[in-house]
Amino acid sequence: MATYRDELRSRYAALAVVFLAVLGVLFLRAWSMQILSGDDFAAAAENNRIREIAVEAPRGRILDRNGVPLVQNRATLGVTVDPSARGDEDLLYRLSVALDMPFADVTERASSEREAALQPRLIAVDVPMTTVAYLAEHESEYPGVEISVVPVREYPNGTLAAHVLGYTGEISEEALKSGDMDSYALGDVVGKSGAERQFEPVLHGEKGYRRIEVDAMGKARAVIEEAEPVAGSDVKLTIDIDVQRVAEEALVNALAAARADDFKNARAGSAVALDVVTGEVLAMASVPTYDPTLFIGGISQANWEALNDKDSEYPLNNRAIQALYPPASTFKAITGLAGLEYGVTSLSHSYYCSGRWTGQGEDWAKFCWNRRGHGTMNFTSGIAQSCDTVFYEIGIEFYRRGAEEMQDFSKRFGLGSRLGIDLPGEMEGRVPDAQWKAEWNRDYPEYQRWLPGDDTNLVIGQGDLLATPLQMAGVFAGLANDGDVMRPHVLKEVLDSKGEPVRIVDAEVAFETDVGEASLRAMHNALLAVTEGGTGTSAFRGFPERVAGKTGTAEVAGRDDYAWFTAYAPADDPRYAVAVVIEQGGGGGAVAAPAAREILSALLGLPVETVRASDDSR
Amino acid sequence: MSRLEAVRKWANVPLILTVALLLVYGAVVVRSATAGFSAGDAMFQRQLFGIALGLVLLVVAWTVDYSKLEGWLGPLTVLNALLIISPRIPGLGVHVSGATAWLEVAGVRLFQPSEPAKLVTIVIMAIVISQYKGNIERWQDVMRVMLFLAVPFGLILLQPDLGTGLVFIAITMGMLLVGGLKARWFVIFAIVGVVGVGVAFQAGVVAEYQVNRMLVFLDPEIDPRGAGYNLQQSRIAIGSGGVSGKGLEQGTQSNLNFLPERHTDFIFSVLGEELGFVGTVMLLGLYLALLMIALEISTSGRDLLTSLIAVGLISMWTFQILQNMGMTMGLMPITGIPLPFMSFGSSFMITNLAGTGMLLSIWARRSGA
Repeated sequence: MATYRDELRSRYAALAVVFLAVLGVLFLRAWSMQILSGDDFAAAAENNRIREIAVEAPRGRILDRNGVPLVQNRATLGVTVDPSARGDEDLLYRLSVALDMPFADVTERASSEREAALQPRLIAVDVPMTTVAYLAEHESEYPGVEISVVPVREYPNGTLAAHVLGYTGEISEEALKSGDMDSYALGDVVGKSGAERQFEPVLHGEKGYRRIEVDAMGKARAVIEEAEPVAGSDVKLTIDIDVQRVAEEALVNALAAARADDFKNARAGSAVALDVVTGEVLAMASVPTYDPTLFIGGISQANWEALNDKDSEYPLNNRAIQALYPPASTFKAITGLAGLEYGVTSLSHSYYCSGRWTGQGEDWAKFCWNRRGHGTMNFTSGIAQSCDTVFYEIGIEFYRRGAEEMQDFSKRFGLGSRLGIDLPGEMEGRVPDAQWKAEWNRDYPEYQRWLPGDDTNLVIGQGDLLATPLQMAGVFAGLANDGDVMRPHVLKEVLDSKGEPVRIVDAEVAFETDVGEASLRAMHNALLAVTEGGTGTSAFRGFPERVAGKTGTAEVAGRDDYAWFTAYAPADDPRYAVAVVIEQGGGGGAVAAPAAREILSALLGLPVETVRASDDSR
Repeated sequence: MSRLEAVRKWANVPLILTVALLLVYGAVVVRSATAGFSAGDAMFQRQLFGIALGLVLLVVAWTVDYSKLEGWLGPLTVLNALLIISPRIPGLGVHVSGATAWLEVAGVRLFQPSEPAKLVTIVIMAIVISQYKGNIERWQDVMRVMLFLAVPFGLILLQPDLGTGLVFIAITMGMLLVGGLKARWFVIFAIVGVVGVGVAFQAGVVAEYQVNRMLVFLDPEIDPRGAGYNLQQSRIAIGSGGVSGKGLEQGTQSNLNFLPERHTDFIFSVLGEELGFVGTVMLLGLYLALLMIALEISTSGRDLLTSLIAVGLISMWTFQILQNMGMTMGLMPITGIPLPFMSFGSSFMITNLAGTGMLLSIWARRSGA
């Protein structure tokens, strides 16, 4: 027993060591967690309980020049799914059936990337009440599926002015990376085209946020902090929606008339109406158009493909600023003015048109559009009848002078460069010259030389010359505005929350052409003669105002002729300039001029009537 | 002899003070942990009732002379077995959260018999081990001791309640350490234990949730939304308490329900979050006092039997403290073992208080008293 008594001391000591070690280890562990790593764990606890939810700012509205809403916001019932449901194919499939949506669209939206990883993903908007009721009743079968009120864009005028207004969509990752959209996050809705995109900085407002405390189930317990969003500003455009409506209808009418006249391929066109003094765009139409509501909540794959189909005539393109056409005979206004300014022609010059012109030599004979010949012509009748022979003579003279004066003069009116309209995607067009031709054909040395034919093509607006409808409207606005081409713009005012303008867009001169007054007067009279006896006469028969205009019929390889008409009115005190293009519509006087008449009627407050013109002239 | 000395003769004042402080501390933390529950007030009252009942049983246990139980080995073993299997007797048992552990009579849920069985097991093992008078060396003797452990251990595994089974093993090992088992046997036990656990995992007798708990213990990041969730949230709670904690009822992990089982198995996580490192050290200090006092009482025991009973209690508490607090801090795998004097639960509270009464009895009948 004596030995066990001794042993007992050490055995108790061992027991004490065990429990001291246990308490010691627990002490050290607590010290390490609470003292050394306390801040990290505290952050993790805060991260657990606090959710920051972005509160979208209401997007500014877009109004027409008279305050008529063109784009506004509307609350709709949307269906969202929790991001945790993205992998649940069964759920998403059943949801796609319930919503009558393609499964692929549902999965794509459910798995879209978001900065706020926990933000629910929007699957569908404008969900019918019956579907909402069904989903609400079967809530337990659709875990993570929520019905919520979401604000979306609304277009009270349907597709009217769709190209000017543009559409909205979720910001792209590239745009986010570009650096000038710092305040945005993935999933934000931004303007993708048109005014929505151009005026994004004022339309979008400032997001608010709400910091809420949530429990383990994600249920909100309390609002810790919140900041109200600042609504985006309304913008007032220069567009007059009534004129816009007429312009779009005029294009549709013209296309229908062209198709009835054996131009079966007439499916697209464009029209622009400008205030010649201020540069304000009163109407800008492009046909075919598209329905901006397709983009609400994200466009479906099928719709996107349809809008970009090869046979669709690309309805998303705003032809007024993005399509490039040979301006054809409408360009003779510039050629004529250049001829006067450089002394190549004059009002007293006389020309003879036999229908066949051999000014470049017998081997290079060219023809007037009127093969029977116009007979004796002068400057004014040359414009009025659009006689090619007159302009071939002017063209060959410019060629002989060899100073590219035609090109320089064209550029003074803004051709070959952007006019600087406040819409994204404006094209600059092309004024061909010797240097351009050499570069264009750098692999074909035999085609690099600038030839007499290049000049005689240029002067009648054919060949390599390309311009947008906006540019040609700008040219005629400049002619009407003492030679100053104003910068075209669609923004009139930015409004504050009370509807008062905080920014008013001023008129500014884009191109000072410095054309002499006498030349402008001569051209003015010639353009009046176009509608008063010339190639645009039948379209304007009975029109109460005098119109200075020019027809054009562009030849495009492999396609039917493109019809042009450009004009300004009233002739005595010009206020508006109009350009109309009907692709593959035939002759300008027959097809485009009646459309221009309708638009001018609307601009001048006259009754709008659809006329059929009979001209076979150009 | 003054009156104070008369009290000291039969009452160990430091033990009473320490346990009183633990009871108050536990009540405060349980109050805070249950405050957010809709039935929080009723739960707190039930806890106070458990403490009151426990104090009654403490006094009862105080009056018993455990040396006299020496000849009761057979009846105690049978009683223990009956206690453990009683919930399985038709009409008596209730199935609660995966185990048949509650005794219910006439629709009234009484208590968990496995809790008092810990104390009975301590007495049984003390009787068996003390019979060898500090010399357990022969394998026949070791086998006999193990047989007495095997009865309650085997029966408790049937419930199934591995946690309590491990408590039985811890109790027995502590008592064998003091009771004179030769050192080489501990080596053999260690080897058998490791091999046994390995075989159990391989043979698939370990339930899937237990495998998961073990995997999570080995790698807490393995599944933060699933099996690792409880541990993760518990660690965040404790760590975020920092030096002085967020204040009672101010724990966000606790009150926003991130913390599971916060009033029972994870009560320490609430304490750590709301009272911080200061609160943790206070708790560890009280436990240190409890164990040191129990150790002193053990060494003063009149005979080896009562000394070993005290050692059994020390072992039981040490293991439960290690297992429970260790689990909440990621040092031990998750098992359903509550924290002595702190966790919500009457059966458990009563058992700990009755154990305290046994210590007081041993002190009152100490050698030289």
